[in-house]
Amino acid sequence: MSTTDIAEKMVDRAAARAGTGRGGLLRRLATSPLGMAALLVDLLLLLLVVFGPMIWGAAAEEFDVDNMNSPPTDGHLFGTDSLGRDILLRVLVATRLSIGLALGATAIGAVIGLLLGAIPAVAGPRVGRAVVAVVNVAVAFPGLLLALFFASIFGASPSGAMLALGVAFAPGFARLTQTLTAGVVGRDYVSAARVIGVGRLRIIGRHLLPNVADTLVVNISLSAGGALLAFAGLSFLGLGVQAPSYDWGRMLFDGLDGIYVNPAAALAPGLAIVLAGLALNLTGEVGAQLVGRRVGSARLPAKPATGAATSVADGPDGSPGADDLVLDLRGLTVSFPRGRGEKSVPVRGVDLRIARGEAVGILGESGSGKSLTAMSVARLVPDPARVDVQSLTFEGRDLSANTSRELRRMLGTTMSVVFQDLMSSFNPVMKVGRQLAEVATEHQGIGRRAALDRAIGRLRSVSISRAEQRALQYPHELSGGMRQRAMIAMGLMGSPTLLIADEPTTALDATVQRRVLQLIAGVRAAEQSALLLISHDVAVVAAMCDRILVMYAGRVVEDIPVDDLLAGPRHPYSRALLAAVPTIQTDRSQSLRTIEGRPPQPADYPIGCAFAERCAFASEKCQQDPVLEPIDNGSVACWHPQQGPVPGVVIDSPAVVSRQRATTATAGPVMPSHEPSRTRERGR
Amino acid sequence: MSSLEFRNLTVTFGRGEKTVVAVDAVSLVVPDRTVVGLVGESGSGKSTLARAAVGLVDARSGDILVDGQPATTGRRRRGGLQMVFQDPYSSLDPRMSIGASIAEALPSDVRRAERRGAVAELLEQVGLDPLLAPRMPSGLSGGQRQRIALARALAAEPAVLIADEITSALDVSVQGQVLNLLREVQRGLAMSVLFISHNLATVCYLSDIVAVMERGRIVEIGPTEQIVADPQHPYTRELLESAPRLGEKIDPEQLAVPD
Repeated sequence: MSTTDIAEKMVDRAAARAGTGRGGLLRRLATSPLGMAALLVDLLLLLLVVFGPMIWGAAAEEFDVDNMNSPPTDGHLFGTDSLGRDILLRVLVATRLSIGLALGATAIGAVIGLLLGAIPAVAGPRVGRAVVAVVNVAVAFPGLLLALFFASIFGASPSGAMLALGVAFAPGFARLTQTLTAGVVGRDYVSAARVIGVGRLRIIGRHLLPNVADTLVVNISLSAGGALLAFAGLSFLGLGVQAPSYDWGRMLFDGLDGIYVNPAAALAPGLAIVLAGLALNLTGEVGAQLVGRRVGSARLPAKPATGAATSVADGPDGSPGADDLVLDLRGLTVSFPRGRGEKSVPVRGVDLRIARGEAVGILGESGSGKSLTAMSVARLVPDPARVDVQSLTFEGRDLSANTSRELRRMLGTTMSVVFQDLMSSFNPVMKVGRQLAEVATEHQGIGRRAALDRAIGRLRSVSISRAEQRALQYPHELSGGMRQRAMIAMGLMGSPTLLIADEPTTALDATVQRRVLQLIAGVRAAEQSALLLISHDVAVVAAMCDRILVMYAGRVVEDIPVDDLLAGPRHPYSRALLAAVPTIQTDRSQSLRTIEGRPPQPADYPIGCAFAERCAFASEKCQQDPVLEPIDNGSVACWHPQQGPVPGVVIDSPAVVSRQRATTATAGPVMPSHEPSRTRERGR
Repeated sequence: MSSLEFRNLTVTFGRGEKTVVAVDAVSLVVPDRTVVGLVGESGSGKSTLARAAVGLVDARSGDILVDGQPATTGRRRRGGLQMVFQDPYSSLDPRMSIGASIAEALPSDVRRAERRGAVAELLEQVGLDPLLAPRMPSGLSGGQRQRIALARALAAEPAVLIADEITSALDVSVQGQVLNLLREVQRGLAMSVLFISHNLATVCYLSDIVAVMERGRIVEIGPTEQIVADPQHPYTRELLESAPRLGEKIDPEQLAVPD
């Protein structure tokens, strides 16, 4: 999982927590100023629509023969029309017809649009293509023109105009529905429904529309504002409401005659149209915001911030001297804001030291914080996250505060990163060769020609055939494996002292994986680089690294030389991980050892050992935080460290196996097997 | 008796010169009560074969037979084919409760009053609490979702189950749970399963028979032990050599790094 994914998921989760239930939605509406305003105006409109004609209906029809076409007076706030009727009252009464017609037209458009738009998703290819073509042509016509056209067909009446406007709105909705459902129809749950045998209409009704409803509803309420305006336009042109009925458009039409005598007669319905239109649009906007999963406003700075000033000169304790360390990271904490001043902390105090030329692996499952740790070292943590370190020294320089250009340049040449997500790591609109060359021109001040030559050389060195031609191609023209190797070639453009690879082979097939791992190993050998390899796969880190850090719930739970890990790690989680993954040698007659439950989410990290609730050895003591304490050649954060080989795990290394034999004699208790949940025979 | 047979199945995409042959005249039998593992790398056509079996992709020629009869899917008839998909985050409708998702797959003659009980039974069968039924899938982990997807497939009472990369999207510690569950269910119900994966280790662990697919063709098939111990086809050998083994070190390739 790439860090951006992690960040996105956290943002999603934060938004989800902020309230998606109906109650939460209303509460959020009421607490935001915009939502409050929309709610109030909508309520006012609703009251007018329901009660307006009842209260003022009769009064609005009263002729005041003494005051025809009167300008505003005390008795008539906006004056009167040509028959002496009060303009203000008529505007209030006309709310019902105006809004009703606008909503009616929107509803007609929405229903036709939804049906047309959903057809291509479930119909056969031929019918689907025909519908798409028709909709595309219809979308190309300006809406108002279509409305005028249909209005003249359906006749100059309110219902005719409503129908006309509805039909004119339909293509837009159809197009939107088409686009939205096309995104959903490819999802597996729709395929699953088909395989189950769910009918087409039911697929539309139960699986497609509910999953695009949010966006559709928002767009429909936004369109209602447009419909209001359009309808006023039609009435104004004499194609909509006819006397003696009146809506705002009709009143505008009537009021315009006497604009020089009483401008207020045209102004009042105009104002009503503007206000009601704004209200409807506001409702749509607020809806869009709620649907659009906005993150809370509590954004923290993304720049790394140093905590309490710890002197780097403290020197490492025991192990390699400061000069031999490529990287010395202490007290790394990464946190994400979760709104309302809360935050989740997916990385909680990680120390990481890498000696010159050493290969260190970080092993962990998704959400363990391993990728965020690596990205923090490369200073590539995504935006809403906050990175805190006690100290971060790379090649003897303090990186924790420094953000100068010189530093960027130093990082560019001495640290290189191989990402997991192939497509997004390359710029899709830039040729591969130029992207590689840019590394050299940016960081080493080499001319473009020379840099491109070097890029081609590096591509060749990672076994990319016809490197000259490949360099002139765009990333999407290369195969997945080739892109991955090109990424590694990019990492090679400098002479990195530290190569960071975050799940470099996760998406790759076994044969390509092996090739890529060989290449990374080759790079290390040639450049004497240190390696920080992040993976969820024990076999991969064990094959590549000298030392392995096992991470769980944002902490390092074990730091152990690779051979010790294979011979039998100390931490129950490391042992369980080793046993959980089947390899070719796994005994088929046995059930796989499993770890019941699942890793905790950053928001729910417990106090004490985070693995305790899944651990067979947990005791009361595990409610206290275990500290990473030295043991043998490594260190472990566990109150009940185990020893001896992990039963059922076949190790393909004679040296390790002979060591295991030697220790088995003195081995303590082994991990008990968890009985897998029983399966009952189903009655038929 | 329930067996699945592909007879000379060919699936192509595109037309004219751009035609891509995804599955090339494949014949494969999944015998009664047997797990057949289909292994191959991305683009080998293994998923297309599965999708053709359940009717999500049209075959160009050839037959798909269940017990000698043309295969069916759906809930109208028991004894058809069902499939569990790779991505548990995409295979459950986010707007439908877990119970509703499973109930949708129950045979249409199961009476309304019996549905709730049937759903509860299925949830228990896949090791989940029946009280989860009214919940929406959003709060669940990948492993739990995959169990639900399995329950949904079982609800239709299929003759043969197709599992397409069902553990690829799961965490390491959860993968084992799902593999164990599938094994138990297969044994408990004496079901035939076509288990598809790019991961040779999981395929070998679960299957009685392994078929190796490369570029739309099945290049080797045989009992699992035989395939592992004595692979005949060079591609099978390459796959076996590439499969990660614990304790083996990666040899750095001799890389000339020109300056």
